[in-house]
Amino acid sequence: MQAVILRGLRHAYRSSTRSERTLTNVRVDSRSAVRHTRCSRAYSSVPSSGDRDRTAVGVFSPTAAAIFIATGAGLFYYFKSEKESLKKKKEEELASKAYGRPQIGGPFSLLTHDNKPFTEKDVLGKWTLIYFGFTNCPDICPEELDKMGGAVNALEKRYGTAIQPVFISVDPPRDTPARIASYLSEFHPRLVGLTGSYQDTKAVCKAYRVYFSTPPTAKADDDYLVDHSIFFYFMDPDGQFVDAFGKDTSMEAVVARVEKEIGEWEKDGRWKM
Amino acid sequence: MGWFGSSTPEPTAVSREGRKHCWDGRDAYFKCLDNVGVLKPGDEGKACSSEKVAYEKSCVKSWIDYFNKRRVLAEQQKGVLEQMKNQSNSS
Repeated sequence: MQAVILRGLRHAYRSSTRSERTLTNVRVDSRSAVRHTRCSRAYSSVPSSGDRDRTAVGVFSPTAAAIFIATGAGLFYYFKSEKESLKKKKEEELASKAYGRPQIGGPFSLLTHDNKPFTEKDVLGKWTLIYFGFTNCPDICPEELDKMGGAVNALEKRYGTAIQPVFISVDPPRDTPARIASYLSEFHPRLVGLTGSYQDTKAVCKAYRVYFSTPPTAKADDDYLVDHSIFFYFMDPDGQFVDAFGKDTSMEAVVARVEKEIGEWEKDGRWKM
Repeated sequence: MGWFGSSTPEPTAVSREGRKHCWDGRDAYFKCLDNVGVLKPGDEGKACSSEKVAYEKSCVKSWIDYFNKRRVLAEQQKGVLEQMKNQSNSS
């Protein structure tokens, strides 16, 4: 029963398309005829009596309208997408451009947690995360250092030791290399802790635009807190500033930012793993 | 040497364990203050004395001062934020 109906339907469809086809043929024929006659009249607006019905609306046939709309829509979307891709390209360029970047970083000379001299040249060729803090910090520094350690752990899987975490003390009177060594061992095994004289600390903080409140007259056994800037920096292998992460930046966001930057360097051949 | 070594000649930093001990003591004391409805540490009279003793034993003084001050500040900040929210809602 169903098969019969289906066959019937198919037949009806076939015949309908056939008649349509013939219809189109007819239409095309009459059109070319119209065009033909029109050519000689140079698009006169007065149609010949036989074409009166077809040309009553001038060139605005349904097909022409459809083509017009389709072309219009096509152009509209083309320009829109072009505009968007141009905007995106510009944004990408802006993000990777060096201009507008804060002048952060510069030469410094400090001592590592195992008493070795360390300068800005020792991190060239590595992606560095630098945190400024002090070991007597009640809660923010340990939280930030845990975040940094976690991010380094996640990034190490892919980039190994190309990611270098660094801690710079803003509390030189108390933060001796030994004290920093024991403190940092709880955050990340590869964390390099740096400290120096009060003048050296002041110089590195100035270069990195870090504020700190340690009084120059503080003694090693004084019990005080240091007010200081609490973001950590992300620097590229040339020692240039890339980004700064605050308390509200999650560990995942730090990892994603670092991966994005390294990816861009890989793309244009500046970095190879 | 206790949880922190500020009394030893070569002071060592507070360890992760020592920090946790201090934070736990602080949280217990602040929770007790919340229960008796006191905001500013020290205004509670004799109410939370055992928690206070434990807290002060497990943290260095600079940390205690900082945590106590921050508790009051955080509450004030919360009040200001709420006020701003109410104002923006009513306007």
